[in-house]
Amino acid sequence: MFETRRLRSRIGLQILLTVLVVPFVFPLYAMVQGSLEGLGWGNYATVLSLPVLPKFFINSALISAAVIVIVMFCTMTAAFGFSKLHIRFKEVYFWLLLICLTLPGVVLIAPLFATVTRVGAYNTLWAVIIPVAALQIPFTTLLARNFVDGIPSELIEAARVDGASIVRVFWDILLPLSRPIMAAVLVLVFINSWNEFLLALLFLQTPDQQTITLVPSFFVGQYNNDQTKVLAAAVLTGLPVVIAYVFLQRFFERGLAAGALK
Amino acid sequence: MTTSATTNAAGVATERSSRRRGGLARPTGIPWILPALVVSVGVLYYCIGYTGYLSTLKWDGASPLQLQVGLENYARMFRDPIFWRALGNTALFYVVTFAVQVALGIVLACLLHSRLYLKTLYKVLIFVPVVLAPATTAPVFRQIYAPTGTLNTVLEGIGLGGLAQPWFSNGTFALFIIISVQIWQSTGVVFILYFAAIGQISPEVIEAARIDGAGDIRIITSIIWPSVRGTTIAIAILSAIGSLKTFDIPFLITSGGPTYATEFLGTRIYRISVQYSDVGLGAAFSIVLLLLAIGTAVLIQVGSRTREEKAGV
Amino acid sequence: MRFSPHSKFRTVLAAAGVAVLAAGLVGCSGSSGGGDGGSATKGTVTWWSWTPDNNVADAEIAAFNEKYPDIKVNYRKVPIDNYAALLRPALASNDGPDVFSVNATGSFSAKTFAAYAVDLTPDIKKLLGDDWKSKVFDGGTQAFTIDGRLVGAQFAKVGAGLMWINKSTFDKYKLQPPKTYDEWVSVCKTFRSKGLGCFREGMAGSAGFVVDTMHSIVDSVEPGLWAKALVGKAKWNSPGFVKSFEILRKMQDDGILDKGSTGIMQYPDVNNAFLTGKVPMVQMGTWYAQYSVKKNLAAAVEGAGGSSSGDSVVELPIPFPDVAGAGNPSTVFSDVDAGHAVNAKSKNRNAAITFALWMGHTTEGQQAVVNGLDSVATLKGVQPDFDKIELVAPDVQRPELEKLATSLDGKLDPRYGTTLAAETSQAIIDASQAMVSSDKSAQDVADGLQSVADSQG
Repeated sequence: MFETRRLRSRIGLQILLTVLVVPFVFPLYAMVQGSLEGLGWGNYATVLSLPVLPKFFINSALISAAVIVIVMFCTMTAAFGFSKLHIRFKEVYFWLLLICLTLPGVVLIAPLFATVTRVGAYNTLWAVIIPVAALQIPFTTLLARNFVDGIPSELIEAARVDGASIVRVFWDILLPLSRPIMAAVLVLVFINSWNEFLLALLFLQTPDQQTITLVPSFFVGQYNNDQTKVLAAAVLTGLPVVIAYVFLQRFFERGLAAGALK
Repeated sequence: MTTSATTNAAGVATERSSRRRGGLARPTGIPWILPALVVSVGVLYYCIGYTGYLSTLKWDGASPLQLQVGLENYARMFRDPIFWRALGNTALFYVVTFAVQVALGIVLACLLHSRLYLKTLYKVLIFVPVVLAPATTAPVFRQIYAPTGTLNTVLEGIGLGGLAQPWFSNGTFALFIIISVQIWQSTGVVFILYFAAIGQISPEVIEAARIDGAGDIRIITSIIWPSVRGTTIAIAILSAIGSLKTFDIPFLITSGGPTYATEFLGTRIYRISVQYSDVGLGAAFSIVLLLLAIGTAVLIQVGSRTREEKAGV
Repeated sequence: MRFSPHSKFRTVLAAAGVAVLAAGLVGCSGSSGGGDGGSATKGTVTWWSWTPDNNVADAEIAAFNEKYPDIKVNYRKVPIDNYAALLRPALASNDGPDVFSVNATGSFSAKTFAAYAVDLTPDIKKLLGDDWKSKVFDGGTQAFTIDGRLVGAQFAKVGAGLMWINKSTFDKYKLQPPKTYDEWVSVCKTFRSKGLGCFREGMAGSAGFVVDTMHSIVDSVEPGLWAKALVGKAKWNSPGFVKSFEILRKMQDDGILDKGSTGIMQYPDVNNAFLTGKVPMVQMGTWYAQYSVKKNLAAAVEGAGGSSSGDSVVELPIPFPDVAGAGNPSTVFSDVDAGHAVNAKSKNRNAAITFALWMGHTTEGQQAVVNGLDSVATLKGVQPDFDKIELVAPDVQRPELEKLATSLDGKLDPRYGTTLAAETSQAIIDASQAMVSSDKSAQDVADGLQSVADSQG
């Protein structure tokens, strides 16, 4: 892209890039440094020795897994439907979905209070899974539809002519071709469901159900605040999503490259 | 958004071909979009409807006593000076975050498409703030800008101690800190969208321009910027909605203060419905927030299309 | 498999319709009561509160289990900002906590959640006799009696109106705690010349610490005015308040109050600065006595990121200086801090009542509560057992803390009372912020405060 044939300009650009990236790294550095003040690694030992930690970890993993399954299923079927199948008033439905993009989580609190307790979902993981999934689907569908739009319809027509059912076409042609966007959806949904805080705080009551994002609040009291352990807990909570992103980074990028908002 | 999303060459072709042949051999797609509609539209529209109902009540969220007050909550909201203040904050927040993110995003995307070292590492570093929850990063920013925090220590260290001050106690600074955290947090997304879009510009076009003597800046303004227009519009809409929805960052870092300098609609809603137990008024704010978000999205979409027509694209 | 589109579509739609209907039906059949309430000495009790901290709660529950080994208590501490939001769905559901703590005013007051709580009067009568009211803190009884039902069993009282100083720092520079405004100015001058802060206060957020400071100033200007304003018998913009706001501004201008208070929070910012020796004076209430306990201080200093030796901070309570110079004595004001409400839907109601009453209405329970030095007893005659508490500097601290423990015994003015609306409380904070960070006149600021109070009806 930029002129890099001369060594001087190449070094210049490398320096420019580094300077631009430093502000992104600095808070991360401060976070880790802060978590090592006071007791040093002892802060991590304290957080890790919380007896509820493994349970919280499992709950977060379960919630993320369930949200991913639901969102992935709804997103891919909807992307296929919106992009390749005949639907009357298609764009009306699509706009109905897109309007949900504008809904902030804080608006959901009051209605969910009433609903979650009424249907008996209070203190079950479903109370978090369903709303979190519902909030993700509009955006992931938007991404995936754009991606599927780029898959030539002729491939599907050809398979239909050969007698394949729609389900077969979806399963054997569309899904294999959609792997990059599925990886992107996976990463996005995992990040958002793992990081969910407010709904988990409000609707999960017992330690048997609570999630990893609630761990830092163990070290904040009304009349005290153990900052170093809050930060240690924050680092530990953030690790899984960072690792997941680093590992899937390449697929994630490829998916967005093909499905991105253009 | 949809139309702009499908105006790429492939998209147009698909639309046309489906219109030509559509309906005849193809089964309806309704069952395929139903799961998404049930889960998303079902849950969320139910919530919107319920919020609309709540906005006509005087209710503390807990007691069995609910009083019908009609549109009184909306009248109270428009009388609330903090509502207008929050809107002003949102507007400034949107303009600045959008401009900075777009500039940073494009420059970073171009840099990372160039032949440089350690590109994957840089990409990961830019994106890591996106994956971390604001709840986990907020304490760090409080620490950086605290009176005896990192920033002031650094300023004193380099002999600029005179500039050191309690940053959060100045409303303007506090708002710009919130803006900077938002930029830190979400430039990764903007970057990656641009990175993807720029990757699809054919290198020959850029090479040709270079042979014609165009410099780096000239290439950005006259080749890259027009080609990523669709992405820019999508980002404009997404970040307008995001700005209206802003909640976590001001809530966790400044709690909306000092004296409402960083109050946004989201923090206002939380303050009113939780702290003041005025669920009805909070619901009225929520409905208006929703209408504003939809209105802005439509406005940007329509506006960009008119400009496109005028430009004859 | 081939779709026959229309019939398939209808089936799915019908299924969705049934699901929605079913959800509605479940809703109608919910919320039956909690049966007979179970055994009073056996079972599991879930307790939610924003106070105390986990380690203190563990100690209290351990003491409870010495008497009632068969009642298992699970404590969940909830961040104070989210507590009300959390209680609403929990209490509306059938899986809410058995015991939930409430306070006297604000978003999680006894009044807000009274509908979900059982009347504890009969059980308290059984425990303390018919004259139970004379044995406990009267303010608590008033705050928790809603429509003739006692919905909360008080267990902790809180007082404010004090300053806390770091005696080590005062000694180091051979300074005496200030009693007057001028002494305060000169003490602060010395501290500042040594590179320290002086009196620091966190006014950011919605925590009402500055409300206590304003209360102290108002008491110095015109005793009794605050209490009158709380019940609507005086205006928040009367001359006494205007003068008090002016004093607050002057305190910052004269170098008493550290600059930047609107950008920092009392917790963690100010607290950490005090614990690490950067600031020698803070305004905190009776709960701050907890850092006189050696192990509490060590843990807190470590949490503040300081070195864990912790002996450098010798905290002492002093009366709020006479800032108005009118010779009015410094006052302490007090409210009930927390009480236990028992969830009417609880299936372990009787065990829950046993626990709720044990903490606030038995000597052992109250002893366990006050020995952490973060709370004051609501049952009369219970004092911290100083022989069993290891203080940082027993010689200087013990006499002052003993005085402090009894200072809340008499009839005192309320801190917030039961009438201070959350909106008004926030307006006092906003007004204080405006005084130290803008040029608005004190009269305008006070007028703004009064208009908010008016709109609360």
